[in-house]
Amino acid sequence: MINKKIGSVLVVGAGISGIRAALDLAEFGYQVMLIDKAPHIGGTLTQLDYQFPSDHCGMCKMLPLVERDASSQYCLRKGLFHRNISLSPATSLVGLEGEPGNFQATLSTRQTLVDPAKCSGCGACADVCPVVVPDEFNAGLTNRKAVYLPVPHNIPNHYVIDGDKCTLCGACVQACPTGAIDLQLARRKEFRILVVDDELIVRDSLKEWLAEEGFSVDMAESGPAALAALARNEYNLMLLDIKMPGMDGVETLKQAKELKPNLPIVMMTAYATVETAVEAMKLGASDYLMKPFDPDTLVHLIFRLYQDLIKTGEVKLTVGAIVLATGFKSYDPAGGDNPYLYGLCPNVVTAVEFERMISGSGPHPGRLTRPGDGGEVNKIAWLQCVGSRNIREDKNFCSSICCMYAVKEARLAKELSDGKVDTAIFYMDMRTHGKNFQRYRDKAEQDLGVRFVRSRVHSLGQSDNQGPIKISYIDPAGEKHEEEFDLVVLSTGQMPAAEAGQLAEITGCHLNHWGFFQSQGFSLCRTSREGIFLAGSASGARDISESVVQANAAALAASSLIHGKGGGLTEVSSTKVEYRDVSKELPKTFVAVCGCGQTLTNTVDITALNNSVNGLPSVERVYHGEKICVEEGWNELVQELRQSNANRVLIAACNPYLYTRKAQELARQIDLSPALIEVVDIRTPAFSGAVTDRKQHAQNITRLMAMGLARLREQESAPVRETHICQKALVLGGGIAGMTAALAIAAHGFEVMLVEQTAELGGNLRHLHWTLSGESPDQLLAQTIAKIQKNPLIHVYEKAKVVTSVGHVGRYLTTIEKADGQGETLEHGVTVIATGGLEAQTTSYAYGQSPAIMTQHEFEARLHDGQLTPDSLKLVAMIQCVDSREEPRNYCSRVCCAGALKNALYLKEKNPKIGVVIFYRDFMSHGFMEAQYTEAREKGVILFQYQVDRKPVVTVHDGRVSITVRDIILDRDVLVEPDALVLSTGIRAGDNAGLAQIFQVNLDQDGFFVEAESKWRPVDSIREGLFFCGLAQSPRSLAESVATGEAAAMRALRILKNESLAAGYTVAEIRQALCSLCEKCISACPYGARSLDEETGRINVDELMCQGCGACAAVCPNGASILRGQHDKQVFYTIDAALQEVF
Amino acid sequence: MAKTVKVEVKDNKPIESIQGFFKDLLVKGDIEAILVPQHLPMKNVVMPTLVTDPEKLDGVDPLAPAFPLNAAKVVSKLTSRALGHKLAVTLRSCEIRAFVELVKLKQGRLDDILIIGFDCLGAYSNAAYSRLSQGDPRGMTIKFHENMIAGKGGVINGFEPAAACRACEYPVPENADLQVEFLGMDINQQLLVKANTPAGEAVLARLDLPAASEPPERQKVIEKLVAARTAFRDQMFSDTAQATKDLAGLTGYLANCVNCYNCRVACPVCYCRECVFVTDVFDHDPAQYLQWSKQKGLIKMPTDTVFYHITRLAHMSTACVGCGQCSNACPNDVPVMELFRTIARDTQKVFDYQAGRSVDEAPPLSIFREKEFAELTGGKD
Repeated sequence: MINKKIGSVLVVGAGISGIRAALDLAEFGYQVMLIDKAPHIGGTLTQLDYQFPSDHCGMCKMLPLVERDASSQYCLRKGLFHRNISLSPATSLVGLEGEPGNFQATLSTRQTLVDPAKCSGCGACADVCPVVVPDEFNAGLTNRKAVYLPVPHNIPNHYVIDGDKCTLCGACVQACPTGAIDLQLARRKEFRILVVDDELIVRDSLKEWLAEEGFSVDMAESGPAALAALARNEYNLMLLDIKMPGMDGVETLKQAKELKPNLPIVMMTAYATVETAVEAMKLGASDYLMKPFDPDTLVHLIFRLYQDLIKTGEVKLTVGAIVLATGFKSYDPAGGDNPYLYGLCPNVVTAVEFERMISGSGPHPGRLTRPGDGGEVNKIAWLQCVGSRNIREDKNFCSSICCMYAVKEARLAKELSDGKVDTAIFYMDMRTHGKNFQRYRDKAEQDLGVRFVRSRVHSLGQSDNQGPIKISYIDPAGEKHEEEFDLVVLSTGQMPAAEAGQLAEITGCHLNHWGFFQSQGFSLCRTSREGIFLAGSASGARDISESVVQANAAALAASSLIHGKGGGLTEVSSTKVEYRDVSKELPKTFVAVCGCGQTLTNTVDITALNNSVNGLPSVERVYHGEKICVEEGWNELVQELRQSNANRVLIAACNPYLYTRKAQELARQIDLSPALIEVVDIRTPAFSGAVTDRKQHAQNITRLMAMGLARLREQESAPVRETHICQKALVLGGGIAGMTAALAIAAHGFEVMLVEQTAELGGNLRHLHWTLSGESPDQLLAQTIAKIQKNPLIHVYEKAKVVTSVGHVGRYLTTIEKADGQGETLEHGVTVIATGGLEAQTTSYAYGQSPAIMTQHEFEARLHDGQLTPDSLKLVAMIQCVDSREEPRNYCSRVCCAGALKNALYLKEKNPKIGVVIFYRDFMSHGFMEAQYTEAREKGVILFQYQVDRKPVVTVHDGRVSITVRDIILDRDVLVEPDALVLSTGIRAGDNAGLAQIFQVNLDQDGFFVEAESKWRPVDSIREGLFFCGLAQSPRSLAESVATGEAAAMRALRILKNESLAAGYTVAEIRQALCSLCEKCISACPYGARSLDEETGRINVDELMCQGCGACAAVCPNGASILRGQHDKQVFYTIDAALQEVF
Repeated sequence: MAKTVKVEVKDNKPIESIQGFFKDLLVKGDIEAILVPQHLPMKNVVMPTLVTDPEKLDGVDPLAPAFPLNAAKVVSKLTSRALGHKLAVTLRSCEIRAFVELVKLKQGRLDDILIIGFDCLGAYSNAAYSRLSQGDPRGMTIKFHENMIAGKGGVINGFEPAAACRACEYPVPENADLQVEFLGMDINQQLLVKANTPAGEAVLARLDLPAASEPPERQKVIEKLVAARTAFRDQMFSDTAQATKDLAGLTGYLANCVNCYNCRVACPVCYCRECVFVTDVFDHDPAQYLQWSKQKGLIKMPTDTVFYHITRLAHMSTACVGCGQCSNACPNDVPVMELFRTIARDTQKVFDYQAGRSVDEAPPLSIFREKEFAELTGGKD
């Protein structure tokens, strides 16, 4: 075993982006601490079952594809295990010291009062808990108890106690069969509170409430009395009235702080003295409470302070870098003016509530019903931009995701109701700016009948609380309509996470105007502080795909930093382990039966069980443990196993997923391959239902164990095979995405061959001269090229192209034709395709008929080189979506609205008198770009919306350009005669067909490369080891191209880092002597891992690409194709054991 | 260029005319060799022969109601690699359809062959044919066709044609390049040869035969034949489904099976180099047999007979063309064909697949359809 020095990283937030960043870093070899303030992982996605475009879940696709045995391989919404990730839920970052490369982070874990090591998740506590409160998991649509499961499907799933809501009745403590619950009443008794108020009635009622919560309470009637009490006794908290005769609260506060500087003091104030209370906070008060007290608020506050104080879980951790992936908070439509009656009318729900309503694990599994009265839903309206694009509420940004999720939800509603439900989406601009979004939207409208109504609904009206909701709206033509709906869904936007402010203070990272973390320059993941990086919605509204890309990028940044600092801080042992060879031994199985406390003895005839299990083949010994899932029981089992000479272990306990990590540890402890350790669940099936026949139960359990034994008996124990990795990368394309990827890979010490087909590096970046955010693309270009040229690990081939490529992940042989016409064959382990895209050409709108008509790139170039000057122009017109968002180029190019805005604002800045008209269909100023959209309108840029079936008509007479367009409000044609007409033609794919064929990957109908999965694996190709970035894959902005370049580099480094890699235990194999070469397995393999070698006449399996799904083994009729760990014999005998009583 | 030509029959001797046609083919047709059934001189038997010498066609008799084996497997062997020469292969309709399946399973190639098919009135089991053809095998061929065409049925000396043939809906070899026709016309006067493909047309053009057209009665004769066979088939489906409706029924149905695996060897689409049932997967530990016996007190030996047939149904029923060679090969009279066809009807239906219909239709398990089995999923996924 080799000890390697490598760093560790703290990832704050375990939603999609946090998990992605943590997995990337863990796969690379870093130790990762992944924390989340919630008591579970998964973030928002734990609540969402369906994601477009597949309208399925797919989170598990983020799990490792190589070295799979290092991690869990089951539903990621249920839980996550990776040997390099320490997961700590209910934990926050509360302090940070040190410097980049060597941070000391303080983490605080909230107490749940249920010991996870003891809790078996049986639910006896919740059965007896008398408290009923709304369940957050179902967005308040169902209820839960004070002791509850935060997410019903977690594995392992431990109950937690909501301290705020718990009444300390103690019923759960009595009910818990494992003694896992400790309400810590004694510790509460030790928590002494001093209540200071001149009014007796206030003092008395406070004392009563707090004593009921289990705290010790003393009282003082004045400032001096309080100070005297402080001198006499130690207190943990003081509640202090502001308005008291004599010495007032503020004065008492000052003196008390001198006496006891660390004592938390909460000010009590009436409305009139709120300002004083705020002042008091500056003097050291912890918080303030408003009179009259609401007991709930009071107890909540006291409880929070109490928890802060008794935090036992506070730990200090040294890490090299930090990734902030704190996500977002959904806008609360009940706040503010609440024009949509949220919370007042039960049939107005948020989008998250709607997702829960249609979820299989929601309140009415799979059925659409009105929350108000359970009635039928026939008409649903979605209202867009709730909380977003709202200047009045200072939310002048677009949340980016709501348009698409509304379309998805409308489609799901249609599907659930077999098309019967009428669905209407009320929107301002339908922002379909992502890959394939436009066609997804069009399908909703054209095939499924979802209605799209362009109108911002002002407010809702309703006559009675349960009945239909009336929506009055004005259509684009200015006509007023009224329509009634059964259900209104509010498309609530993404707001900054609740803890963003606090984290900004702790980390010193800046927030932007709206409270999101501010990213820097052309990077979407850098903060104002070195060593701390952003992933996902922490830096602004993001969809899943963007979150994943930026999480990859943040992981890369963290890795680059640690690498740059010369390695890291933690000593870790190598993960490659060789186990004892038992292949020559007869199977001898140690059977460990967990009694789950007394449950097994209560329900099962143990003697009968022992007799029948002992009679099964290969059983060496049957061991009974009372609770092997808890630490003590487990350690005892390990001791027993160490003394046994068994070569198989069957653990009969509960859910096998619970044992993923433990089984791996056990394998190392007893030197036995984890493949020979099997866990079967005897708890769920055997203990459910009323106990009637203890002998029958014994038989049922025996059958389950016999199945596990059958699998183990035939299990192979050969070691997992490794593939050698050539630790060099080939990057195709020298634009910004390719250069970024090349630099990142080289920065980790690996050689890069960078192949560019033109004579110079830079690509499309050469066409950009200014940006909306103010950074200089010219400078970025110069700096990036300089870095490439200086880096000795990067070999640039200009005017070169790929001719052929053979091989697979780990070793490709790619032949390029160089500038001099000579061929050269390059050996590399991974490939990054960054071949870019092009500004589309057009013949529409009279392009080519006048020098005054030009594309957006041409316009920018002419402004840049002085051919055109803003002063010389009176009126500039721009037309958006030229040949775009309709077939055959039915996609949004994502950057054109930004480009138009950028150039419009540039013109306005240089010549405020200039007139600018932008003709658009839906203005795609997603994210914070919305602010510039507003700015442009404020500066007088005219935004003129046109219909796709009534496009502007451009004519040229004597060199003069005229545009005629229909104004639907006036219902007549408008004539515009600009000095310059700028056409936003968008981005088209380059000629990728040849490369796609050479590397055996697919192009979409628009000619862009197809990623493995648009949401969860956005830069991976379906072929492991081959990655995409930049415009080659889809249109995207400069910063986004940089991010995908970084993401592709991170994905590539995960492979390059290793001298050799293993896929996992479960991979497909071929028994060549039996193979008839029918090639069914090749077409069945969804991962492209199989191929026919024409020379040898054999089918080959690329082990690193094989994901062990078994489709090949299923289609092969004679067992020539087999799956390790799932051999025919194992399956037969398992079935045989399961059915032995039936046949 | 004519797509249909006429082969004159002289002296009421259709077999000799057919022999003449094949001889022409070998001499003028740019064909290197012909695979064609012949009466073997040494024994009273009909077998496929591979002929390169035009003078060695005297025993040719594609009309003989003998079906010793499904020759698709023979063609598979002849086409496993590129040959560079054109072969003409004479196949029955069921043999062509089986070969189409084999091509899709990469067990054969269409590139080098010209397929010649004959209108098919069926054949007897091997056991029956060897009895019936004693003495005058060619006369037997003529008698069989005369009886069938005259509507007298196929019973000769108490022997009936094979059940597979009586249940066959495909008397016309539509997938052939060249289709030799006699249904609906007088076999003693003429035969027609129709080219279904450009390759067929090219060969016909070389033979320089007079153009002709199909007589209108032909279609009616075919329809009548197919209707009778379909009725027989449907009765067979319902009888078999009834007999095997539960596990006890199926076990009884297959009780005669001795695991000889002849049916799998005879099956034209069972293409595995080695059947999984003869590999180590079914080499059970001796203790395993005892274990099984202990569980039930009694087990039938050899074991895995029902399992074998179910597995073969799972693997091959979507490719089953109903040729009946399985039953022909069974030494213990297990009605294997009846079972396969009955199950194949359902498995092919659920995938909207018909074995042998077209090389362009991918075998069901090799394609992924996102939405299928709506009747099970409720149309949702």
